[in-house]
Amino acid sequence: MVEVSMRARILLVAFAVVAAAQFARADSPSVTAVLSNSEAVVGETVELQIKVTGPGDAQAPEEIPVEGLEIYRTGEDASSEIKFGAGGLRVTRSVTYTYTVLAKSAGTFTIPPQTIRVGNSSLPPTPALTLSVADSPSRAFGSRPGSNKQSMTPTELAFAELVVPKKTAYVGEVIPVVIRVGFFVQGEVVESPVIDTQGLTIEKLQMPERPHIQNINGRQCRLYTFKTAIAATRAGRFQIGPAQVNTVVLAPTPQRPRVRRPHWPPDFPDLDDFFNDPAQQEKLIVKSKPVALEVKPLPPNAPPSFSGAIGNFTMTSDANPKSMQVGDPITITSTISGRGNFDRVNAPVIKDDRGWHKYPPSSKFKQDDEVGISGTKTFETVLSPNEKKQALPVLAFSYFDPAKEGYETLRTDPIPITVEGGAAPPGPSAAAARSAPVPAGLTAAVNATPVPAAKPADILYQLTDLGRARSFAPIYARTPFWIAQLAPLVLLLGFVGWTIRQTRIGDRKRQRIAARQHEVSHLLRELRHGDVSPQVYFSQAARVVHLKTALARNINPNAVDAETVAKTFDLNENERTQLRRLFERSDELSYSGTGNGAETISKDEREEVLRFVENLRV
Amino acid sequence: MKFRNAERQLAGIHTCLMMQLFCFIGTFAVISPAVAQSTAQFAKANQEFAVGDFKAAIADYEELGRSGQNTPNLFYNLGNAYFRQKDFGRAILNYERAVALERHHPEANANLSIARDEAPALELQPSWLERYVQFASVNQYSIVAAVAFWLGILGFATLIFARRRSATMTTLSIWCLLLFAAAVGAIYALERGSNGHALAIVTGKNVQARLATAETANSVLALPPGSEIKILSIRGDWIYAALPNNLRGWIPAKDAERVGL
Repeated sequence: MVEVSMRARILLVAFAVVAAAQFARADSPSVTAVLSNSEAVVGETVELQIKVTGPGDAQAPEEIPVEGLEIYRTGEDASSEIKFGAGGLRVTRSVTYTYTVLAKSAGTFTIPPQTIRVGNSSLPPTPALTLSVADSPSRAFGSRPGSNKQSMTPTELAFAELVVPKKTAYVGEVIPVVIRVGFFVQGEVVESPVIDTQGLTIEKLQMPERPHIQNINGRQCRLYTFKTAIAATRAGRFQIGPAQVNTVVLAPTPQRPRVRRPHWPPDFPDLDDFFNDPAQQEKLIVKSKPVALEVKPLPPNAPPSFSGAIGNFTMTSDANPKSMQVGDPITITSTISGRGNFDRVNAPVIKDDRGWHKYPPSSKFKQDDEVGISGTKTFETVLSPNEKKQALPVLAFSYFDPAKEGYETLRTDPIPITVEGGAAPPGPSAAAARSAPVPAGLTAAVNATPVPAAKPADILYQLTDLGRARSFAPIYARTPFWIAQLAPLVLLLGFVGWTIRQTRIGDRKRQRIAARQHEVSHLLRELRHGDVSPQVYFSQAARVVHLKTALARNINPNAVDAETVAKTFDLNENERTQLRRLFERSDELSYSGTGNGAETISKDEREEVLRFVENLRV
Repeated sequence: MKFRNAERQLAGIHTCLMMQLFCFIGTFAVISPAVAQSTAQFAKANQEFAVGDFKAAIADYEELGRSGQNTPNLFYNLGNAYFRQKDFGRAILNYERAVALERHHPEANANLSIARDEAPALELQPSWLERYVQFASVNQYSIVAAVAFWLGILGFATLIFARRRSATMTTLSIWCLLLFAAAVGAIYALERGSNGHALAIVTGKNVQARLATAETANSVLALPPGSEIKILSIRGDWIYAALPNNLRGWIPAKDAERVGL
């Protein structure tokens, strides 16, 4: 039995899993690629992540050949996400491939689009990514002085460097800017760097969590990297910087000439080293060199759907639900990913919105880097078809690509949908509605019809009857409802009480019957012994007859007479005579005293009476 | 002696009947002028509506509502007045109130549909369970639940005290209690569903549902006036609500009103 139960459970679970799998929908496959940092210096590494969402057996390349860069795959992380939504169970599987990119030489490098293979087919290629590699700051400083503490200058204690990957840009284009502050001695940044950016807008500087150690010309340097982004509001020549940073450093104190003590052992350290502080804390302002930037205006003849987005973007779209009635809402989710000024990225434009009712879109932005240049902006636009449609309208998104120096327009493929029902026919005019009021029944019938039913163009007439006031509270929240529950409660209690009483009455009757049966058997036992006086004997015999008759007819034994006994046991004439004689003897002996009659009963007479009494049966 | 007793009994019945009659007349005397006054004010508001003075009509209808005259027809007429004022959010709110009081109010249902098209308002999609159980109202389910509960309990009480247990009685009792459970489930689904007691209507204009309780927070969904929302919680001046298209977000409390009063 247990085995059968276990099997049934296993089958149930298997069925549930299969059923869930039937309803589960996987996301459409997509590939994204993002660099952890779009700027680096020679010798530094950045991380490249390629995320494949959808299929589970994707094959990513082990290495990506780019002149001047070394790119190797260093990790793979798979994850699944299950979402319950209006469209049912949605399972999203994704694999993130991590590559380490080592900058070997200075310059601007393009990591080409990568094609991810899934079985025999290929997914859409990743977008091309640009990495700007600046020269190592060690070159700016040239050859470092030696380790002689006495001759160190402020620039040898700390330095600031402004890294701007581009020398020319377009109006509105977001340019990432990095400020690197390095310390060759113990020191830290007191305040965020300040950059002189007249005519440019600048994002808030992101404070680094902790410095990283880098070897510059054989000297260990603690490097703080601040990231921000700038954009020009007009065309012209601009100077970015200098960047100014307030720091505190532990500068080495000048060493005094040592006086050698003659009695001091040669291998022991000098006492001066214990009592003299070898370094002192100093406030130090470090400045970087300014960088020139030439800003060009955007070319004319921008496409109609251009909203000011500048950068490099890709667009995908999806719609839910894909089957609906005329008038039902459908949500189009457009996802724009890439690098650029996302604050100017607006929702894609619907090319042909005839037959559609459009609602204002909502948006949310998920940035992939610290300054918000790279990321994904998702727009949700609700449309409602006014008539039968085969596909969603085409969405267009235009942006200016600074690399190609031209406008690009992305268009979605028309997503096929099923819209059932016809267009709403024009209804009666307001005047008609007022002059010929629609009967209540007819209106109700119109409303009972599903969505494509005809709707009047104007509202119906005013009602003149105020009607009865009602409560918004549901009936179960009102006091009368609970008072009304007292009626069935009382009925239930009454029923239970009546049943209990009936049971008790039944019990008393049973007890009485049992007592009479017990008395009968007791008297018969005594009659069989026969060692009692005739008065008692006949009295007991008569009592047995009374009791047996009372038990048979369910009456009081004292109300039993000879005739009742004869009728109850259907006695013949001979038996009736016996009965009469028994009752007469019993009465005679009871009422006339013990002197009358014999002292004892003969054995024959006793047996005759006993046989008669025992044979009384219904 | 017998005659005297009978006379006393008759006199008692007579006194009781007279007291009941006085009570009835007294209640009627108090209520009747109030009803007449409400009817007169309703007629006045209708007259104002007919001559195009929608503001005055709205004021009179609102005053009637505040005095406790929560009738479907009052909310319907008030909805019409707001519709004429092009305040589709409040028009839809009042049509919804009329429908909440009387599910099959034909005029309110018809005008609600028109107002939604005009707004154009977004609607909450009912869950599959709600779609199945909405053929009856919460009140009807409540009555069914109460009757089924008591029948089931009576059946089980009979079974407990009976000498012979009838299979039919056992089956009927179980069915009654199952029906009770189903009715309670239906009440729960309807009350917690898209048309439950938490239903509210967006009455403000240019309302944006946001990710957080700040005007600067990212927008989740733009809600045209008359859009349905389900209030999940209230924090200060903000409402956290379930929105159409299975979204959730915060909207200012002043921009939405509950349908149930």
